[in-house]
Amino acid sequence: MKRPALLGRADLALILLALGAAAVWLLWPRADACTAVVEQDGVELARVDLSSLAEEEVLNLGGPYRVRLRAGPGFIEFLSSDCPDQVCVRTGRLTRAGETAVCLPARISVRLEGGAGGGTDAVTG
Amino acid sequence: MPLRDNPQGGAARRAAFCGMLGALALALSALEGALPPLPALPPGAKLGLSNLATMYAAGALGLGPALLLALAKALFAGMTRGAVAFAMSLSGGALSTLAMWILLRPRRRPFGFLGLGVCGALAHNAGQLCTAVFLAGPAAAGYAPWLLLFGVPSGILTGLLLRALYPLLEKLRTRP
Repeated sequence: MKRPALLGRADLALILLALGAAAVWLLWPRADACTAVVEQDGVELARVDLSSLAEEEVLNLGGPYRVRLRAGPGFIEFLSSDCPDQVCVRTGRLTRAGETAVCLPARISVRLEGGAGGGTDAVTG
Repeated sequence: MPLRDNPQGGAARRAAFCGMLGALALALSALEGALPPLPALPPGAKLGLSNLATMYAAGALGLGPALLLALAKALFAGMTRGAVAFAMSLSGGALSTLAMWILLRPRRRPFGFLGLGVCGALAHNAGQLCTAVFLAGPAAAGYAPWLLLFGVPSGILTGLLLRALYPLLEKLRTRP
C-alpha cells in the first residue's frame, strides 16, 4: 500500500478535537457527590447517601471476588476485590457527581449522583 | 492496495505473512503486559501497541485477514487473562480494525500515521467501552472521557511505531 504521510492537517485537527472534547468533558463543573449508586449487572444493589455519613463504613458485597466498598463523608471507593486486574481498586476515591468505578470481572459498578433532593439534571424516556 | 497490486503474493505467502503479523501482535501484547503499569494511565488503560499489526493488516491484506488477527489477539488475551479480557480485546480489536479498513481504502486516505493511530486507539476504546457497559451497566460509560483523553497519546505512539516498522513490513510483504 502507498505509504501514508506522518502528520497532515487532518491528523492535527483530529488530535486537537479529541483532546479538546476530553478536556471539556472532564473539566465541566460538577456538583459534589451526594448519592452513591452500587449496581451489579445493571441491577441496583445499594444506594448510599454520602452527605449524611458521619464516619466511614465498609460495605461487604461478597460474591466470588469478595468485593468490599468503603464509603465516607463525600466519597466512596473500592476497598478491595479479589479480581485479577484490580482496575476497580486502582480507580481510587470517587468524590464528584458523574464519577464511576467499575469492577468488570465482578460486574459491579459504583456511580455518584449529585444534587440529592433537588430537581433533575436530565429526563429521558 | 491489497495483494492485487502485488503479483508475487500467492496464497501460501499471504498465509505466512498473516501468521507473522499475528506473532508480532502477540509479542507486542506480551511485551506490554510485562511492563509495569504506568501510573499516568487511568486504571485499566493500556497502550495497545499490538494494534499496529491489525492496522497494517487492514491496509495491506484486507479486512478478512485483519479481523482474523484481531480474533487471534483476543484468543491470546482470553488464554492469558480470562473471559472478560477476551470479550474486551475482541470488541475493541474488531471495531478498530473496521475503522482502519475504512480509513485505508485505496483512494480515500484522510489521515497520516498519527491520525490513523489515534483513530485506531479511539475505535478500540469505544468497542471496549460498549462491552464494559454491556457487562457492568451504564455506569461504565463514566470512563469515556478518560479513554478519549488517553487514546490520543497512546494512538500517537502506535502511529509512530507503525511508521518506524512500515518499511520493514512492506519489504517483507513484497519481497520476491
